[in-house]
Amino acid sequence: MKHQTKLSQEQQSAAAHQSQQQAGREFASSEELLRFDAAQTVVPPQIAQRLKRSAGEDAPATRRPWWKNLLGQ
Amino acid sequence: MNEPTEVCDLTGKLPAGWPTAEISSLYDEHSRAIYYLALRFLGDPQKAEDATHDVFLKAFRKLDQFRGEASARTWLYRIAINHCQNLRQAWHDRHVYSNADDAIWENSMAKDGCPLRVLETKELGERIQKTLDQLPDEYRLLLLLVADEELSYEEIAVLVGQSVDAVRGKLHRARKNFAALFEQSA
Repeated sequence: MKHQTKLSQEQQSAAAHQSQQQAGREFASSEELLRFDAAQTVVPPQIAQRLKRSAGEDAPATRRPWWKNLLGQ
Repeated sequence: MNEPTEVCDLTGKLPAGWPTAEISSLYDEHSRAIYYLALRFLGDPQKAEDATHDVFLKAFRKLDQFRGEASARTWLYRIAINHCQNLRQAWHDRHVYSNADDAIWENSMAKDGCPLRVLETKELGERIQKTLDQLPDEYRLLLLLVADEELSYEEIAVLVGQSVDAVRGKLHRARKNFAALFEQSA
Protein backbone atom coordinates (compact mmCIF):
# COMPACT_ATOMS: atom_id res chain seq x y z
CA MET A 1 0.00 0.00 0.00
CA LYS A 2 2.74 2.30 1.05
CA HIS A 3 4.91 1.26 -1.85
CA GLN A 4 2.16 2.19 -4.29
CA THR A 5 1.81 5.59 -2.70
CA LYS A 6 5.52 6.06 -2.72
CA LEU A 7 5.73 4.94 -6.32
CA SER A 8 3.22 7.52 -7.43
CA GLN A 9 5.11 10.13 -5.44
CA GLU A 10 8.29 9.09 -7.19
CA GLN A 11 6.58 9.41 -10.56
CA GLN A 12 5.31 12.84 -9.62
CA SER A 13 8.72 13.85 -8.46
CA ALA A 14 10.32 12.57 -11.67
CA ALA A 15 7.89 14.70 -13.63
CA ALA A 16 8.70 17.65 -11.41
CA HIS A 17 12.39 17.16 -12.03
CA GLN A 18 11.87 17.15 -15.79
CA SER A 19 10.23 20.50 -15.59
CA GLN A 20 12.83 21.76 -13.19
CA GLN A 21 13.43 25.42 -13.28
CA GLN A 22 16.61 26.94 -14.61
CA ALA A 23 17.88 27.81 -11.16
CA GLY A 24 17.36 25.87 -7.98
CA ARG A 25 15.53 22.67 -7.27
CA GLU A 26 11.95 21.70 -6.91
CA PHE A 27 10.66 18.94 -4.66
CA ALA A 28 7.24 17.43 -5.08
CA SER A 29 6.78 16.52 -1.44
CA SER A 30 8.25 16.94 2.00
CA GLU A 31 9.42 13.30 1.87
CA GLU A 32 11.36 13.92 -1.29
CA LEU A 33 12.94 17.02 0.22
CA LEU A 34 13.91 15.16 3.40
CA ARG A 35 15.29 12.21 1.41
CA PHE A 36 17.49 14.59 -0.55
CA ASP A 37 18.63 16.23 2.68
CA ALA A 38 19.37 12.82 4.24
CA ALA A 39 21.40 11.78 1.21
CA GLN A 40 23.52 14.95 1.58
CA THR A 41 24.12 14.26 5.27
CA VAL A 42 27.48 12.81 6.18
CA VAL A 43 27.76 10.73 9.32
CA PRO A 44 30.67 12.16 11.34
CA PRO A 45 33.47 9.55 11.25
CA GLN A 46 34.28 10.23 14.90
CA ILE A 47 31.11 8.36 15.90
CA ALA A 48 32.66 5.07 14.77
CA GLN A 49 35.88 5.93 16.59
CA ARG A 50 33.98 6.71 19.78
CA LEU A 51 32.00 3.50 19.46
CA LYS A 52 35.20 1.50 19.19
CA ARG A 53 36.55 3.10 22.34
CA SER A 54 33.29 2.74 24.25
CA ALA A 55 32.84 -0.89 23.25
CA GLY A 56 36.42 -1.61 24.26
CA GLU A 57 35.92 -0.01 27.68
CA ASP A 58 32.54 -1.63 28.05
CA ALA A 59 33.64 -5.22 27.70
CA PRO A 60 35.52 -6.14 30.88
CA ALA A 61 32.91 -4.71 33.22
CA THR A 62 29.97 -6.37 31.50
CA ARG A 63 31.57 -9.70 30.77
CA ARG A 64 33.32 -10.35 34.10
CA PRO A 65 31.08 -12.29 36.49
CA TRP A 66 30.17 -10.33 39.61
CA TRP A 67 31.48 -13.02 41.94
CA LYS A 68 34.92 -12.80 40.34
CA ASN A 69 35.01 -9.10 41.18
CA LEU A 70 33.91 -9.89 44.71
CA LEU A 71 36.54 -12.56 45.24
CA GLY A 72 39.18 -10.55 43.42
CA GLN A 73 39.87 -13.39 40.99
CA MET B 1 18.62 7.17 3.08
CA ASN B 2 19.11 3.75 1.58
CA GLU B 3 22.65 4.29 0.48
CA PRO B 4 25.15 2.88 2.91
CA THR B 5 27.58 5.28 4.50
CA GLU B 6 31.25 4.92 3.84
CA VAL B 7 32.44 1.78 5.59
CA CYS B 8 33.68 2.51 9.10
CA ASP B 9 35.73 -0.36 10.36
CA LEU B 10 34.44 -1.08 13.83
CA THR B 11 36.33 -4.31 14.17
CA GLY B 12 39.74 -4.49 15.76
CA LYS B 13 39.03 -2.98 19.15
CA LEU B 14 35.77 -4.75 19.81
CA PRO B 15 35.73 -7.04 22.83
CA ALA B 16 36.31 -10.72 22.32
CA GLY B 17 33.03 -12.53 21.91
CA TRP B 18 31.22 -9.64 20.29
CA PRO B 19 29.83 -10.46 16.84
CA THR B 20 32.08 -8.06 14.97
CA ALA B 21 30.75 -8.78 11.50
CA GLU B 22 27.12 -8.15 12.55
CA ILE B 23 28.06 -5.01 14.42
CA SER B 24 30.00 -3.57 11.51
CA SER B 25 27.25 -4.38 9.07
CA LEU B 26 24.60 -2.93 11.39
CA TYR B 27 26.52 0.32 11.65
CA ASP B 28 27.40 0.57 7.97
CA GLU B 29 23.84 -0.04 6.83
CA HIS B 30 21.93 2.07 9.33
CA SER B 31 24.17 4.77 10.78
CA ARG B 32 23.12 7.38 8.22
CA ALA B 33 19.41 6.82 8.88
CA ILE B 34 19.87 6.94 12.66
CA TYR B 35 22.17 9.95 12.57
CA TYR B 36 19.80 11.82 10.25
CA LEU B 37 16.81 11.13 12.49
CA ALA B 38 18.77 12.31 15.55
CA LEU B 39 20.10 15.36 13.71
CA ARG B 40 16.77 16.63 12.48
CA PHE B 41 14.77 15.54 15.52
CA LEU B 42 17.15 17.11 18.03
CA GLY B 43 18.28 19.97 15.77
CA ASP B 44 21.87 19.92 17.02
CA PRO B 45 24.79 18.16 15.27
CA GLN B 46 26.78 17.58 18.47
CA LYS B 47 23.80 16.13 20.29
CA ALA B 48 22.95 14.03 17.24
CA GLU B 49 26.49 12.66 17.26
CA ASP B 50 26.22 11.78 20.95
CA ALA B 51 22.79 10.26 20.45
CA THR B 52 23.93 8.13 17.50
CA HIS B 53 26.86 6.86 19.52
CA ASP B 54 24.59 6.03 22.47
CA VAL B 55 21.97 4.34 20.29
CA PHE B 56 24.47 2.04 18.59
CA LEU B 57 26.23 1.24 21.84
CA LYS B 58 22.89 0.26 23.37
CA ALA B 59 22.12 -1.81 20.29
CA PHE B 60 25.49 -3.58 20.39
CA ARG B 61 24.99 -4.42 24.07
CA LYS B 62 21.52 -5.77 23.39
CA LEU B 63 22.31 -7.51 20.14
CA ASP B 64 21.63 -10.91 21.70
CA GLN B 65 18.12 -9.72 22.60
CA PHE B 66 17.31 -8.78 19.01
CA ARG B 67 15.01 -11.58 17.95
CA GLY B 68 14.55 -10.58 14.35
CA GLU B 69 10.78 -10.09 14.72
CA ALA B 70 11.22 -6.60 13.36
CA SER B 71 13.80 -5.44 10.85
CA ALA B 72 17.11 -4.26 12.23
CA ARG B 73 16.25 -0.78 10.95
CA THR B 74 12.97 -0.72 12.90
CA TRP B 75 14.69 -2.04 16.02
CA LEU B 76 17.36 0.67 15.82
CA TYR B 77 14.73 3.34 15.18
CA ARG B 78 12.89 2.23 18.30
CA ILE B 79 16.01 2.68 20.41
CA ALA B 80 16.76 6.02 18.71
CA ILE B 81 13.25 7.38 19.13
CA ASN B 82 13.15 6.50 22.83
CA HIS B 83 16.57 8.03 23.34
CA CYS B 84 15.81 11.26 21.47
CA GLN B 85 12.39 11.66 23.09
CA ASN B 86 13.93 11.24 26.53
CA LEU B 87 16.51 13.90 25.68
CA ARG B 88 13.87 16.32 24.45
CA GLN B 89 11.71 15.64 27.47
CA ALA B 90 14.66 16.43 29.74
CA TRP B 91 15.24 19.74 27.91
CA HIS B 92 11.57 20.51 28.03
CA ASP B 93 11.53 19.99 31.80
CA ARG B 94 14.34 22.51 32.13
CA HIS B 95 13.30 25.06 29.53
CA VAL B 96 9.65 25.72 28.94
CA TYR B 97 8.96 26.53 25.33
CA SER B 98 5.96 26.08 23.15
CA ASN B 99 5.30 25.25 19.57
CA ALA B 100 2.99 27.45 17.62
CA ASP B 101 -0.66 26.57 17.91
CA ASP B 102 -2.09 24.03 15.48
CA ALA B 103 -4.65 26.56 14.34
CA ILE B 104 -1.93 28.72 12.83
CA TRP B 105 -0.98 25.90 10.49
CA GLU B 106 -4.53 24.88 9.79
CA ASN B 107 -5.16 28.39 8.53
CA SER B 108 -2.01 28.45 6.46
CA MET B 109 -2.10 28.91 2.73
CA ALA B 110 -0.27 25.72 1.78
CA LYS B 111 -2.04 23.25 -0.45
CA ASP B 112 -1.40 19.56 -0.88
CA GLY B 113 0.85 18.74 -3.78
CA CYS B 114 2.31 22.21 -3.88
CA PRO B 115 5.96 21.84 -4.94
CA LEU B 116 8.65 23.01 -2.55
CA ARG B 117 11.13 25.27 -4.29
CA VAL B 118 14.68 25.79 -3.23
CA LEU B 119 17.10 28.17 -4.88
CA GLU B 120 20.20 27.41 -2.89
CA THR B 121 20.70 23.80 -1.87
CA LYS B 122 23.53 24.81 0.45
CA GLU B 123 20.98 26.53 2.68
CA LEU B 124 18.59 23.65 2.44
CA GLY B 125 19.60 21.99 5.69
CA GLU B 126 19.13 25.19 7.64
CA ARG B 127 15.69 25.80 6.16
CA ILE B 128 14.61 22.23 6.78
CA GLN B 129 15.77 22.42 10.39
CA LYS B 130 14.09 25.75 10.94
CA THR B 131 10.87 24.33 9.54
CA LEU B 132 11.00 21.09 11.52
CA ASP B 133 11.76 23.01 14.72
CA GLN B 134 8.42 24.75 14.42
CA LEU B 135 6.45 21.53 14.11
CA PRO B 136 5.18 19.51 17.07
CA ASP B 137 7.49 16.61 17.95
CA GLU B 138 4.91 14.12 16.75
CA TYR B 139 4.69 15.63 13.26
CA ARG B 140 8.44 16.04 13.00
CA LEU B 141 9.00 12.40 13.88
CA LEU B 142 6.37 11.14 11.45
CA LEU B 143 7.81 13.16 8.57
CA LEU B 144 11.32 11.89 9.27
CA LEU B 145 10.15 8.29 9.47
CA VAL B 146 8.01 8.38 6.36
CA ALA B 147 10.92 9.86 4.42
CA ASP B 148 12.77 6.59 4.97
CA GLU B 149 11.74 4.41 2.08
CA GLU B 150 12.64 1.27 3.99
CA LEU B 151 9.78 1.78 6.45
CA SER B 152 6.19 0.88 5.69
CA TYR B 153 3.22 2.73 7.19
CA GLU B 154 2.59 -0.35 9.33
CA GLU B 155 6.10 -0.21 10.76
CA ILE B 156 5.81 3.53 11.37
CA ALA B 157 2.50 2.99 13.15
CA VAL B 158 4.11 0.43 15.46
CA LEU B 159 7.08 2.72 16.11
CA VAL B 160 4.88 5.64 17.14
CA GLY B 161 2.31 3.47 18.90
CA GLN B 162 -0.67 4.50 16.78
CA SER B 163 -2.96 2.97 14.20
CA VAL B 164 -2.11 3.15 10.51
CA ASP B 165 -5.16 5.35 9.92
CA ALA B 166 -4.09 7.75 12.64
CA VAL B 167 -0.60 7.90 11.12
CA ARG B 168 -2.03 8.66 7.69
CA GLY B 169 -4.25 11.43 9.06
CA LYS B 170 -1.46 13.03 11.04
CA LEU B 171 0.94 12.76 8.14
CA HIS B 172 -1.51 14.61 5.95
CA ARG B 173 -1.54 17.52 8.40
CA ALA B 174 2.19 17.28 9.01
CA ARG B 175 2.97 17.55 5.28
CA LYS B 176 0.64 20.50 4.91
CA ASN B 177 2.15 22.30 7.87
CA PHE B 178 5.68 21.54 6.76
CA ALA B 179 5.02 22.91 3.28
CA ALA B 180 3.49 26.11 4.66
CA LEU B 181 6.30 26.74 7.10
CA PHE B 182 8.97 25.83 4.56
CA GLU B 183 7.64 28.40 2.11
CA GLN B 184 7.63 31.01 4.86
CA SER B 185 11.24 30.23 5.72
CA ALA B 186 12.51 31.31 2.27
